[in-house]
Amino acid sequence: MKDNTTILTIITYAVLLTAVSVLLNDIREFDLQQFKEFQNWAKSADKSESWFTSKNAIKWSYYAISAGLFFWRGYLIYGFTYFLSILSEVDKGQYFSDKNISYFKKIGNIFIWYAINVLVLRFLLALIGKSSFDFFTELKTEFSLLIPCALAFYLLAEIFKRANEFKKDSDLTI
Amino acid sequence: MPIIVNLDVMLAKRKMKSKDLAEMIDITTANLSILKSGKARAIRFSTLEAICKALDCQPSDILEYVED
Repeated sequence: MKDNTTILTIITYAVLLTAVSVLLNDIREFDLQQFKEFQNWAKSADKSESWFTSKNAIKWSYYAISAGLFFWRGYLIYGFTYFLSILSEVDKGQYFSDKNISYFKKIGNIFIWYAINVLVLRFLLALIGKSSFDFFTELKTEFSLLIPCALAFYLLAEIFKRANEFKKDSDLTI
Repeated sequence: MPIIVNLDVMLAKRKMKSKDLAEMIDITTANLSILKSGKARAIRFSTLEAICKALDCQPSDILEYVED
């Protein structure tokens, strides 16, 4: 079991490092490309135009939403770090500990929050960019895996909770 | 819990120490302490049988039902 958890920990670290490096690269590319466009636009902008109705506001909204998308991706990666905590508990032999139950719930919560918030932000981005947004297509393509995974983690948390109760019963049977 | 464990009383009657009983029935003193304090959720028939044999008593001498 020790060897299996070690292998799984290494795999989780590799996945996490890859995800973080991809996210950092995306942030770097986003800054370089988008900020230059914004600077060019700012130079030629009509100064008399009011701020809220101007392209300026729309641009900043776009930036804020894009930054929000990065934040939620980071949050999802943070969710994956809980796997390391679960593996650490398993390594100690505490399979059905209260900590593991709470970690499973937290992962489920993070997956659900990520799915909902990214969906909303993508909708807002499409609204600002005046591009088409098909709710069900987005839901199907991007989140068909995350939402069932979140539900599976809630289920695991419930199963582990029951197992924990049975274990306590078993430990207190003399 | 309405089930009272009177193991202390029986041990006193037989003038036996908990440690000796634990050794006789082959359970740890920690588990015997759980049983004596009433924290146990269940007792195996095999344990009950061993206790009855060691203390020369009936299960009713050890377990008692008291309504809450």
